[in-house]
Amino acid sequence: MEDRRIGVYVCNCGTNIAKVVDCDAVSDFAKKLPGVAVARSYKYMCSNPGQEMIIQDIRELSLDRVVVAACSPRMHEPTFRKALQTAGINPYFLEMANIREQCSWVHDDARAATDKALALAHAAVRRVVHHEPLEKRFVDMCPATLVLGGGIAGLTAALELSDAGQPVFLVEKDDHLGGNLARVDLTAPYLDSARDMLADRIRRVLESPKIEVLLRSTLQSLSGFVGNFRAEIRVGADGARTVDVGSVLVATGFREFDARRIEHYGYGRLPNVVTSFELERMLREGRILTRGGRVPKYFAMIHCVGSRNPEYHGYCSRVCCMTALKYGHEIKSALPGAYVYDLYIDMHAFGKGCEDFYRRTAEMKTMFLMYAKGTTPEIVPSGPDDDCEMLIKVHEVLSGEEIEVPADLVVLMVGMEAREDAADVAHLVSISQDKDGWFIESHPKLDPVATTTEGVFIAGTCQAPKGIPGSVAQAEAAAARILGKISRGKIEVDAVFAEVDETRCSGCRMCNELCPYAAIEYDAATKRSRVISAVCKACGCCVAACPSGAIQGRHFTDRQIFSQIEGVLEWASSQG
Amino acid sequence: MGFEPRIVGFLCNWCSYTGADLAGTARIHYAPNVRVIRVMCSARVDPTFVVKALAEGADGVLICGCHPGDCHYSEGNYKAMRRFPLLGRLLRDYGIEEDRVRLEWVSASEGKRFAEIVDDMTERVRRLGPSRVKTLLEADRVER
Amino acid sequence: MPEKKLQIALYWGAACGGCDVAVLDTNEFVIGVGFLVDIRLWPIAADGKYRDVEAMADGELDCTLFHGAIRNSENEHLAKLLRRKSKVLVALGSCAHLGGIPGLANQVTKQEILERVYLDNPSIEAGNRVVPLPSTRVDAGELEIPRFYRRVYRLDDVVPVDYYVPGCPPAPEQVKAALQALVNGTLPPARSVIGASNRTVCDDCRRRKEEKKVTRFHRPWEILQDPDRCLMEQGILCAGSATRSGCGVRCPDSGMPCRGCYGPAPNVIDQGAKFVSAVSSIVDSKDPREIERILGDIPDILGYAYRFGLPASLLQRSIR
Repeated sequence: MEDRRIGVYVCNCGTNIAKVVDCDAVSDFAKKLPGVAVARSYKYMCSNPGQEMIIQDIRELSLDRVVVAACSPRMHEPTFRKALQTAGINPYFLEMANIREQCSWVHDDARAATDKALALAHAAVRRVVHHEPLEKRFVDMCPATLVLGGGIAGLTAALELSDAGQPVFLVEKDDHLGGNLARVDLTAPYLDSARDMLADRIRRVLESPKIEVLLRSTLQSLSGFVGNFRAEIRVGADGARTVDVGSVLVATGFREFDARRIEHYGYGRLPNVVTSFELERMLREGRILTRGGRVPKYFAMIHCVGSRNPEYHGYCSRVCCMTALKYGHEIKSALPGAYVYDLYIDMHAFGKGCEDFYRRTAEMKTMFLMYAKGTTPEIVPSGPDDDCEMLIKVHEVLSGEEIEVPADLVVLMVGMEAREDAADVAHLVSISQDKDGWFIESHPKLDPVATTTEGVFIAGTCQAPKGIPGSVAQAEAAAARILGKISRGKIEVDAVFAEVDETRCSGCRMCNELCPYAAIEYDAATKRSRVISAVCKACGCCVAACPSGAIQGRHFTDRQIFSQIEGVLEWASSQG
Repeated sequence: MGFEPRIVGFLCNWCSYTGADLAGTARIHYAPNVRVIRVMCSARVDPTFVVKALAEGADGVLICGCHPGDCHYSEGNYKAMRRFPLLGRLLRDYGIEEDRVRLEWVSASEGKRFAEIVDDMTERVRRLGPSRVKTLLEADRVER
Repeated sequence: MPEKKLQIALYWGAACGGCDVAVLDTNEFVIGVGFLVDIRLWPIAADGKYRDVEAMADGELDCTLFHGAIRNSENEHLAKLLRRKSKVLVALGSCAHLGGIPGLANQVTKQEILERVYLDNPSIEAGNRVVPLPSTRVDAGELEIPRFYRRVYRLDDVVPVDYYVPGCPPAPEQVKAALQALVNGTLPPARSVIGASNRTVCDDCRRRKEEKKVTRFHRPWEILQDPDRCLMEQGILCAGSATRSGCGVRCPDSGMPCRGCYGPAPNVIDQGAKFVSAVSSIVDSKDPREIERILGDIPDILGYAYRFGLPASLLQRSIR
């Protein structure tokens, strides 16, 4: 242990780390630690020259352990592990100290931040001494995919996968395919028909010999691991199916905000206040009428219903602004004499073709009225002399005036929100939700359709509000990721898992019930417990519980963690 | 300079560590007193880690896992939850103040919450003053 | 038969004498040993003066079996003296090995102990409530008694120890095996635990073990136990799973839970913390309040988890 040759690499991350942490002080400190053969500070460790530096040092200085003090290991651990591998040493001989996300980005006191970085680097050096060489394992990849949700995202992914010749089980809760898009008439900004888009896809899905569509079905349980999942599905009222799949794509979509929650707008109480989805239905049916059966003359769209308001949802639902513009076009085309008012906070027209669409809508004489964020326009009954059903009182920001807008039909542009069953789905497939209930992707920018559970992907509006192009792109991306795994035939399983030292196991069976994956077997003949390594996901619960100290968690051994504890504290106390 | 508590944090990889990273990405500032050790799941936190940290001179120990019902490993956090009360009683019998060891749930999206917990814990431990454990163990030591 | 008889000493620190009895419980074997060794000091069985030990040359003794914990200055003095005089020093029994039952005193302060024993004890007559001092002046001069330390130590804390024989008391057959190894010169590498295995008590326990889920803990007398089933599964707090085996499963075989006297398994550095981890892991509930209630059935967790080894735990003593 004492004759380790450790290399310590302190990343400046441009100025991201170096502007707060004294990186040279960290590498100077590391140089003096036992076992450290070289320590360097460099501008960008993850860059090619940075990695080359590490690789060259490993080769020329015969390093056998490497510490990289840089960003979160969740960011670049795979990068640096690969560098170790390229240099010819075991990739698990790496330890990272997180001195960016958990240090330089959250502290401004340079001294305190540098102290913390020193402690974390010290702990990493102490830990890496005890790292053991681990080998990755490979298991067969089942080529079938379970797609949850038959909306535009689920349909798209199913087609991509089946077009590539791979089997798909498409599970849909409703009795028909199409999801939320099936409730829409035309789409913004090109005014294509949603029906046309869907009809072709649904037909191809139903005709595909590779896709089995399960309607009125829900996932009941998912066991196993990437490449080898087993899904129990309830079909209809009392049917059941068990399918083996290698990947899972969650494309369960959204539900619309319940407009009743904003009592102020009188939805459910005032007969001619409707939601955007109710207007879609009228448009699809070609019959736009007030509750009293009159053809409306004045239309008012109120934007951001349930969105961009901390009382309901703080986020923007992304599609409502363009949908409201679309209504302007559709209404004027159906009722050329109608007046259309858009009551908005900000006009979000960021998508391709959207700014042009906004201009064209304005040219068609849709009247845009801006109200202030945090306020709500007020809907009041019209007087006897008015030729409209209601009046909307609004403080118009651009003119600075209190105005009254006539309306026969008020359309509430309801936002998107996570489905009521999102938490159940998340739990079933072991993924997380963010504070708003949307499923969390593995990385918001660089890994947008994978999740923290390997083999489980997300696409479409279950991940966050988005339009059709975004949903389709994610679905295709997820399908590509899944096909990539299938094409390799085997999948790599992490070398990190728990194992029982049979010379120390006493057969007490304390651990048997603890494993959530049933990865622990008890052999009654030998009176020993055993971990099935391919099923183990390395949570370490059994390791902590084993009273004989017979179970070790690879890469998270007691010795490694004790060294870290000593490392962070010894350093701190020496500075006292 | 006043007393700066030294707190060891054990954070689960999937929720709390990610949440702490998110605090970084969002540049939410908090006290620099917690030194984080990453574990895959809060269920990996053997009570031995806690006593080890205290014996090595930690003024506090913070354990963070996913919210109940939201564990990446389905129910590892419930195991952490089960171990905590008995460990707490053990530590109280050792004379260690309750505020020094804390179990919290922090999701991957709760960077702000993580920052608030760290600030709050740092303040509470600061008020308690330095842990006497290591000092007393050193004072007890006999020349062999 | 060796040319020269082995020179040995047996000594007790803070102890109950049970380890001496364990030596005697080897029955005719110890008599046989008598033919092979010279017992130079054994306060419970034979006369011997400290000054005789002091007069020995360093390393003159082949072996000292030291049992009992270190509670006062006399214990420490003798431990150091015997260490110097002995080629091999063996910590015999839980007290020397881990601090033992006397080590439970590390839960309270020296002050509390002295007040309880010499002042508050109801059996002390009024007017006779006197706390002894390390030195007292009397007409004949200065009288001294050993200094009472503020905490209990294990033998290893005050002198380097060569071998540990665990148990409260050690099983006689293990004492016998240790003596035999000494006589035959077949001792394992230094600093080993002898007379114990690498597994825990469960390995030797004949009770049937199944998967464990506990919704209620009981004291042994509170339920009618199934004599063939694991005690832990019946809610009886048994330390067997967290305790090194070698004892012969004496307690669980008699219907009593293991109390942990053989100390932690070899890979475990803190027996009590590990025990707490294991016990609470098998509590069958996800509701924080119910978990508290179930674990609330367990009294005095510190005393239970470290009944024989508080001074050997990572935290060693209460800091109150």
